[in-house]
Amino acid sequence: MGPGIIDVFKQYYPIFLKGAVGTLKFAAIAVGLGSILGTLIGFIHLSKNKVLSGAAGLYSTVIRGTPLLVQMYIAYYFIPMAIPALSFLSKEQCVMMSLILNSSAYVSEIIRGGIASVDIGQTEAARSLGMSAGHTMTRIVLPQALKAILPSLGNEYVSMVKETSLAGSFAMYELTFTKTLLANKYLIWQPLFIIAAIYLVMTVVLSGLIRIFERRLSAGDKH
Amino acid sequence: MTNTDSEVLIKVVDLHKSFGELDVLKGVNTEIHKGEVVSLMGPSGGGKSTFLRCLNLLEKPEKGSVFFEGEDITKIKKQKDLDKIRQKIGMVFQQFNVFPHLTALENITITMTLEKKIPKAEADKIAMDLLEKVGIPDKAEEYPGKLSGGQKQRLAIVRAMAMEPDVMLFDEPTSALDPEMVKEVLMVIKQLADSGMTCVIVTHEMGFIKEVSDRILFIDEGIILEQGTPEEIFNNPKSDRVKDFLGKVLY
Repeated sequence: MGPGIIDVFKQYYPIFLKGAVGTLKFAAIAVGLGSILGTLIGFIHLSKNKVLSGAAGLYSTVIRGTPLLVQMYIAYYFIPMAIPALSFLSKEQCVMMSLILNSSAYVSEIIRGGIASVDIGQTEAARSLGMSAGHTMTRIVLPQALKAILPSLGNEYVSMVKETSLAGSFAMYELTFTKTLLANKYLIWQPLFIIAAIYLVMTVVLSGLIRIFERRLSAGDKH
Repeated sequence: MTNTDSEVLIKVVDLHKSFGELDVLKGVNTEIHKGEVVSLMGPSGGGKSTFLRCLNLLEKPEKGSVFFEGEDITKIKKQKDLDKIRQKIGMVFQQFNVFPHLTALENITITMTLEKKIPKAEADKIAMDLLEKVGIPDKAEEYPGKLSGGQKQRLAIVRAMAMEPDVMLFDEPTSALDPEMVKEVLMVIKQLADSGMTCVIVTHEMGFIKEVSDRILFIDEGIILEQGTPEEIFNNPKSDRVKDFLGKVLY
C-alpha cells in the first residue's frame, strides 16, 4: 500500500498546490474569456438575422453535443497541423482554446435562455412606449434576465473547475496532472484522494461564494 | 357622432395581416378622428387585437397602410422615427406588462428620461401627478409585485399617458382582472375618453362599450363587418352575425 494519504500530502504539498493554482488559472481563463465570447454568441443566436442566428445555434449544438476531451484532441493535434496560421499557438494555448470555446457554448445557451425567459410583453410594452431597441434590452429585458442567468452561470463556473481536469491528459500542469507526476515515485492511489479532496474544497468554496453573491443581489432587489 | 368632422388622426387602408397560413386581417379600412372613442367588438380570433397591434406596428402588416397624422407609418425605415411615432401612440395591454424590476414611479419615468431626455426631477413630478390622478400616489415607491391587478393596470395607463400620446390603444384592459377591480380601471379609461383623448378600445365589457363609444366597429373574420353608433349596433344591428353575437353576449 505504501505511505498514507496524509504523509504523502505533507511531503508533496507544493506539487499539489501548484496543481491547484494551475487548475484555478485554467478555469479562470476559460470562464472569463468563455463568458465574453459566450455572451456575444448568445446575442447573435437571438438576432433576427437567420443566417447568423443559425450559425450561433449550430456552434452551441456542436460544442455541447460532443465531448470536451475529443474537442481537446482536435485542438491539440489537428488545429495546429491543419491551420498553419494558428501554428504559433503553444500546446497549452491549444488546450486553453478548447476550454474557452467549450465554456462559451454553454454560456451562450445560458444567456439566450435567460433572455428568452423574459415575457415578450415586457419588450412589447417598452417598444410601444417608444423606447429604443437598445434601451429595451439594457434597461428592461437584461435586468430581468439576470435573475435566470446568474445562478446558471454560477453552476457553469463550478463545473468548469472540474472540466479543466481533462487538460491533465495533455501534460498541462493542473491538479489532476499531479497524479502523473507522483506516479513516477510509485505513489498511485494516495494522490487520487488528495486531488479529489482539493477539487471538493475548491468547488464547495466557489459555490459558497456564488451563493453569497446571489444573496447580495437578491437583497438589493425588492420586488 | 360629434367628432367625425374633426381631423383624421389614423387612417387605415386595405390592411392585411396573416400569421403563416392564417389570414387574420383581410382588408380593413377605417378612419379614426381626433377625440373619437372607437370600440372594437366581435368574437375572439376575429382580428380585433391584431388590428389594434397593427396601429403601432407591434405587428407588421403584409399589405396596406396605416396613416398616423398623415404619415404612412408602415413605410418608415428608420427605427428611431418609428420610436418617435410610438411615443404618440399609447398602448395598454391585457397583462399590464408593467416593469417588475422598477418602482411604480420609475415605470413611468424611465422612458421619459431615456427617450425624451426630460430631467429626472421634472419627470418625477409629472409621474407623481399622474399617479395622483389615478389614485395611487402612495404606491410611487412600491414595486409592481406589491400592487393589485387594478393598480397595475392603472399604473400601465399613466405610464403610457406620461409620453403625452395623441391616441390610446386599449387591448382588453380588464380581461385579466379580478371582477371587483374591473370598475376602477374602466373609470380611468372613461375619464380619459371624457377628457377628449382619442381612444381605440378592444374589450368584452358590453356595458362600457355602449356608454363610452362614439363608434363601434364589429370585426369578424378579418374585416369590419358592420359599424355604427352604440345605438345602431346594440338596438338595430343590420347583419345576422352581429345580432347573433349580441344575442349570445348580452344577458
